[in-house]
Amino acid sequence: MFRPSKLLSGMLAGLALACASGLASAQNTIKVGWLSSLTGPLSSAAIAENQGVQLAVDEINAAGGIGGRKIELLTRDTSGDPTKAVNLAQQLAFSEKVHFIIGPVNSGEGLATTPIIARAGVPNLIIGALDELIDPVKYPRAFRVINTNKQWILTGNDYALKVLKKSKVAVIGDTTGYGTSSAKTAQELLEAAGVKPVYTVLLDPNKTDLSDELGKARAAGADVVMPWSAATGLLGRLLNARGDMGWNVPVVGHPAVMAPQIRKLLNKPEYWDQTYASGYASTTYGADGKLPAATQMLVDKVRPKLAAGGEIDILFWWVAMGYDTVKIIEHAVKGANGTDPAAIQKVLENTGEFRGVYATYNWSATQRNGFPDSNMAVNVANSFKDGTFKLAPR
Amino acid sequence: MLMVIVSGLAIGALFAATALSYNVMYSTSKVLSVTTGHIAMLGGVFGAYAISALGQPWWLGLIAAILVGGLFGWLTDLIAIRRVLARSDEHLWLLSTLAMATMVQQAVGLWWGTEPKPFPRLIPQDFSAGIGDQKFWLPIALAGLMAIGLEFFYRRTMYGKLFLAMSEDAFAARARGVSTDRIRVASYVIAGALGGLAGFAAGQLTFAYFALGLTLTLNGFIALAVGGLGSNLGALIGGLTLGLLNTFASYLFGGEYQQTIAVGLLMVVLLVKPEGLLGAQQVRPV
Repeated sequence: MFRPSKLLSGMLAGLALACASGLASAQNTIKVGWLSSLTGPLSSAAIAENQGVQLAVDEINAAGGIGGRKIELLTRDTSGDPTKAVNLAQQLAFSEKVHFIIGPVNSGEGLATTPIIARAGVPNLIIGALDELIDPVKYPRAFRVINTNKQWILTGNDYALKVLKKSKVAVIGDTTGYGTSSAKTAQELLEAAGVKPVYTVLLDPNKTDLSDELGKARAAGADVVMPWSAATGLLGRLLNARGDMGWNVPVVGHPAVMAPQIRKLLNKPEYWDQTYASGYASTTYGADGKLPAATQMLVDKVRPKLAAGGEIDILFWWVAMGYDTVKIIEHAVKGANGTDPAAIQKVLENTGEFRGVYATYNWSATQRNGFPDSNMAVNVANSFKDGTFKLAPR
Repeated sequence: MLMVIVSGLAIGALFAATALSYNVMYSTSKVLSVTTGHIAMLGGVFGAYAISALGQPWWLGLIAAILVGGLFGWLTDLIAIRRVLARSDEHLWLLSTLAMATMVQQAVGLWWGTEPKPFPRLIPQDFSAGIGDQKFWLPIALAGLMAIGLEFFYRRTMYGKLFLAMSEDAFAARARGVSTDRIRVASYVIAGALGGLAGFAAGQLTFAYFALGLTLTLNGFIALAVGGLGSNLGALIGGLTLGLLNTFASYLFGGEYQQTIAVGLLMVVLLVKPEGLLGAQQVRPV
């Protein structure tokens, strides 16, 4: 005889079982919070990094996860707003109780979120270049995956002084917090190398014409111009002013000076000649046009998604870095045999020569900057190909 | 040094053109709309879009910039001004126009992108023209023409006289049968068209950049306050003075002092001559 109550109880039991197993599986996942500025300023960097992060998560999950535990990626869009980033970091750390946090993307946001994530005791993979984001004492679980700002500047200085053999340097920064501190650091590092800049100036990033400033640099006898600004409009105007005045002087500076957007701002394509910027060995191709094998492999993997089989038109180091962050998490969880934050810290502190696509990382108990100097390179600005650049002549 | 002067005059002319747009709207509504700088931003962005992306000739780009500016002026009145003025004498328009400016900036940022994009060359000319480059002279010429044109409009046309009548006393104008609502709408459309034109003329100088609006809103306001609210000649003088001060401050002391000196100028003028250089002194009836 048909007994509805029996059927109902059976259904309820089934439902409860399904819920329980779902809960168990949710509890068993490795929760990774990803603070990404997918909209707003610098969204292009975040969108590219997101491709790398997502690809690595998909690969690991498709292979069965880490020790049988799948990665649950919780992506949060900060819009590049530090206030929003703080709220989302708190939500990820305290409500979602994530095991790792990647980001945020921008150093300005990182300044606001890093102390909060440190207070929550959550391992944090830092992808901002600002030096202040790292402190082994205050933020013991914050490990930097990207290079430092100082490494960019040192690489540029080294190329200008030792390879181009220039010694009369014009340092140009902008009036943003980043531009001001970078110009100051550049000046200090040059002086430490025994070179006093012949001209130093900070400019409004929206300044409409730079002919007068470059005229002053030229009058001061500069034989190399070194811009340390991420403002593409300012950098485009700088190259235009140099070209319009017919000044044959090399420009060596911030990676933004080789961003694809710059090309569109130039009065003439040749205004990009003799321009070099700090970059990465992993995303640099040599005279034979070949990339390092690991980078080429990743390029081939993401090409269908990023460029529908054609040329990739975003900076590829962002994709490679995003990919590496998840691979570092995999390495840490495997080494710690779980997600205990203290054990994760210990594994990362003892990580040496961990080979990623973007770099080979080394951290220690006192060193949280994992990106080695040997992975830096100088690129030719107008050599953009598939998101990568040509090695500058040495 | 000549380059410093010419580039200062050029950016100053853009500030002056923004101040003139402020004036047109202010004359009929007594509102200083925060969207004023964003109108010029739209002129630059849509001009560049029409010419570079759609491949249209420059004159169609110019028409597009004027039309988009005029349309945005009309929308500003419709959404942020009309109801606010009808319901309250308080300065709530400050919030409503700020909200509208923020929305349009975000929308342009999402559609156009947050990086500056190039504005096409309008007249065939080599880039090595130095101080004779069109990027400097187009905004300077336009600001002069705008000031002269507005003076002609106000003094010699019936509509212009209606603007003046409203500026003097909107209630008295309405009592004499002037459709003050219609005149105010016309003033916002004209201000929008002029702002769009200014953004187009200065496009090569500023690039087509989504975040330009707020800078122009601030500097246009300083130019207006320095020159005197309601005075077109004052707006022109205020804008050019501010532009020159900006470039000389940057040239002589560095960019970190540029904004301080601009805002310092505003403070000094407000303390010494609160009505501005050529503004009418406010008399409080007792």
